Amino acid sequence: MSRPAETLDLTGVPCPANAARALLVIEGLPAGAFLRISLDDGEPIQNVPPALEEQGHVVVDKVRIGTGWQVLVKKGEEA
Amino acid sequence: MEIYLDNAATTQPATAVLLAMSECSRRCYGNPASWHRLGVEAAKVVERSRQTLAEALGAEPDEIVFTSGGTESNNLAVKGTAWAAGRRGKHIVISAVEHPSVTAAALSLEKLGVRVSLVGVDSEGLVDPAAVARVLTSATILVSVMHANHEIGALEPVQEIGRLCRGRGILFHCDACQSFTKEPLDVAKVPVDLLSVNAHKLHGPKGIGALYVRKGTALAPLFDGGGQEGGRRSGTLNTPAIAGFAAAIEAVDLRAASVMRRLRDRLWDSLRRAVPGIRLNGPRKARLCNNLNVMLPETESKPLLRKLSAAGIYASAGAACSSAKPEPSPVLLAIGLSPQETVRSLRLSLSRWTTQAQVDAAARAIVRLAGGS
Ligand SMILES: Cc1ncc(COP(=O)(O)O)c(C=O)c1O
Repeated sequence: MSRPAETLDLTGVPCPANAARALLVIEGLPAGAFLRISLDDGEPIQNVPPALEEQGHVVVDKVRIGTGWQVLVKKGEEA
Repeated sequence: MEIYLDNAATTQPATAVLLAMSECSRRCYGNPASWHRLGVEAAKVVERSRQTLAEALGAEPDEIVFTSGGTESNNLAVKGTAWAAGRRGKHIVISAVEHPSVTAAALSLEKLGVRVSLVGVDSEGLVDPAAVARVLTSATILVSVMHANHEIGALEPVQEIGRLCRGRGILFHCDACQSFTKEPLDVAKVPVDLLSVNAHKLHGPKGIGALYVRKGTALAPLFDGGGQEGGRRSGTLNTPAIAGFAAAIEAVDLRAASVMRRLRDRLWDSLRRAVPGIRLNGPRKARLCNNLNVMLPETESKPLLRKLSAAGIYASAGAACSSAKPEPSPVLLAIGLSPQETVRSLRLSLSRWTTQAQVDAAARAIVRLAGGS
């Protein structure tokens, strides 16, 4: 990784606005770039990563941090 | 030539707005609360628009609640804060020149035991912040004073009023439907807790608006339902209108205000020169750039408006929503006009598309039909 991943805090953002906001940020990044997203437990962690994968992005990592999650996403080549 | 000078009532939608709406209706028809791809596409439209609106106001996206327009935003602000305050909410302060959606919403709370104070205005329609300060009590939960008046364009001292509310821990709501994108209003600078805007005054679609709700402000919803908009506004979001709202904001030209101001002043100069005894209703200086409101010396405005309409010139006597009601305008009464004087008043409101040729032609027609020289 040549540069640190961008970060996006989506805690407290309802579904599926959280997925939509993540996609809007990812679309502004160059292909192959990374985005680190903070998500709430429950629906958000269940639903957001698959929604990003469905649009061609790669969920590289999911870590539990406190009561929430941190997800590392790599922007897909064709997305 | 059609000359539309009723832009305070509503504006013609911009082409970019119509395109955004039809594109969204066709391609992003999913429910923005659904989890499948079409739902997420619709949610992207909503969230992109929310960001556009938040940026235009200096707010955070999460502080924006989409509504069906200015009326709902005002009702949500006034009733939502009072309901959330429960038994603590005993007193609300509004100005005497608010839009009916603020005034009637506040007065509807009286049956719940809420006392409503109406603060008067001076002869130009301006609220004195000291007069607001005088009526505040330990029971006051909310002050609502608009940014720009819908009839006479008075720009209220919202900075000062907001500051004195903030100092006392009282919520401040501001109806900015007329001024949004015409006069700067940044919620990071103005101490406002709730702010109403709508799209159809800025060449956007009708039936869409938003309420800015400062983070941490307790607000009860008007509707029970699916809990959209963070539980603050249930109901499936009007995605095409939301897309159109954002397109309208993006199409705003910040230089347009000074052009509208110049043409408005030119219109007033033409009328003032040709119609002896004509008077300006509302402020000379602290005035919204596109608003002119005049009192004719003899002519009643209703028959004049009909003749103007027949000539392809569209204006109004006052607020659009009060046109059906025979009662005199409360705003004009509040600035000291007699009921007879209110019926001789004419509101001419410009848009960024109004041209010099149009204001000159409108002035000539008004002078001719109102019997000036
Ligand atoms: C100052 C003001 N507030 C509220 C409204 C109501 O907005 P809407 O027509 O979107 O309900 C209007 C105009 O219609 C207005 O001018």
